[in-house]
Amino acid sequence: MNPSDSDASRFRSASTDRRGERDLDDLLVHVARGDQVAFEAVYDRMVGPVYGVIRRVLRDPSQSEEVTQEVLLEVWRAAARFDPAMGGAATWVMTIAHRRAIDRIRSTTAAAERERKSADVGPPHDQVAEAVEASLDRERVRRCLGSLTEIQRESITLAYYGGHSYRQVAELLNVTLGAIKTRIRDGLIRMRDCLGVSS
Amino acid sequence: MRLFRQDPHALSGVYALDALDSGRELNRFNRHLNRCQSCAGEVRGFREVATAMAFAASMDPPPEMRAQVMAAVARTRQLPPEIRTHARPRRTRAWAPWVPWLSGAVAAVAIVVAVLFGFAQAHTQSELNQARAQNQALALDKARIAAELDQARAHDQALAAILGAPHVTLLSQRTTKGGVAVVVLDAAKRQLIVATSGLPALPSGQVYQLWLIGPVRIVSAGLLPAAKSGVTSPVVATGIVKGDKLGLTVEPAPGTAQPTTTPILALPLPV
Repeated sequence: MNPSDSDASRFRSASTDRRGERDLDDLLVHVARGDQVAFEAVYDRMVGPVYGVIRRVLRDPSQSEEVTQEVLLEVWRAAARFDPAMGGAATWVMTIAHRRAIDRIRSTTAAAERERKSADVGPPHDQVAEAVEASLDRERVRRCLGSLTEIQRESITLAYYGGHSYRQVAELLNVTLGAIKTRIRDGLIRMRDCLGVSS
Repeated sequence: MRLFRQDPHALSGVYALDALDSGRELNRFNRHLNRCQSCAGEVRGFREVATAMAFAASMDPPPEMRAQVMAAVARTRQLPPEIRTHARPRRTRAWAPWVPWLSGAVAAVAIVVAVLFGFAQAHTQSELNQARAQNQALALDKARIAAELDQARAHDQALAAILGAPHVTLLSQRTTKGGVAVVVLDAAKRQLIVATSGLPALPSGQVYQLWLIGPVRIVSAGLLPAAKSGVTSPVVATGIVKGDKLGLTVEPAPGTAQPTTTPILALPLPV
């Protein structure tokens, strides 16, 4: 069935919260029924954070573009498997995206390539700073990251933006595995409260 | 791993950031999640934090990507809507008993694998002939599977992508009712192709249904098409997660949301 133009205007005019989260849930329902116009709206909403995170984890632009395309295609294919009970649509998409990026770096060839490229990239602090420029989202996340202890902040950013396993994070920060687990969890709890995420 | 056993709850943050080290740890935490409602809620909240971090790291990709993705979307078939069950402990127990004895059963029919592999790698006809000579009956099935794959490859891009993937794993296993399932697994993309040969014919009103049997939930992977000369045409299954097994059950037509009979196949998928 062909999506009609009136669908497009409906999606554009739909009210959204600041990140468009609620609206995105509705869009995914339409995508699950094969609505390509709805998918375009999902693409426009999600491609920035998807590419941003994958790029941050993988670093290599061409690999990042490849994985970004895979992720977006997976969103199209698996839209029917999105379950609002398990969290918002943006979170569903980002979970797929981050996992795909992680899968890519845990494969050995990619890891070697990444090691090579990581030589050009500054220490974790710079990555965080880079991540948090202007824009409301960035400002909010920066403020909340700033409320963490240094080791909480570094553990979380090394794991999420850096794509390191917690064992690697423990080694990088020279703390025990047990400490890293706790710091990441405590830090995320603090972030959750600071960002006002309902749980 | 003593620490982990004592306090799996503490790993919720690590899990939410995809920072566990191994599939084993992941499986273990998934099992824990299954029993721990508060953990599931916590992970959900942490994932939302991660999503906020993703939006904060937003970056524009090359503009031409949009047209590329839309073109791919236009020619990509979507997964059917499936009723998913977020496994509760009761459900876990329901399928747990037969998992252990099935997981060890690896009755690989090497020669079928060899031929499929040869096919996937576009090996020559002479190798096919050579293999065929080794076992006339088996060769017939192999050739049929190969022919089916060939046909499907010409028509199905998804299939072609898997067969053309750089690192595919070939798996096969006999079912407990006889016959063999052959799987071409693309672990990197978490997808597979499965074809079967020699499964007993079912009475009308019954179908063979494929499942991805994971540590957290069981998801239908569709029905096996009706066999032609004992061979079913390849089925593509996607969205495989760590710990998944490929299961096959006999179900009332037109298939069920969750398996209702003991699987006749449960093939571990190394992803």
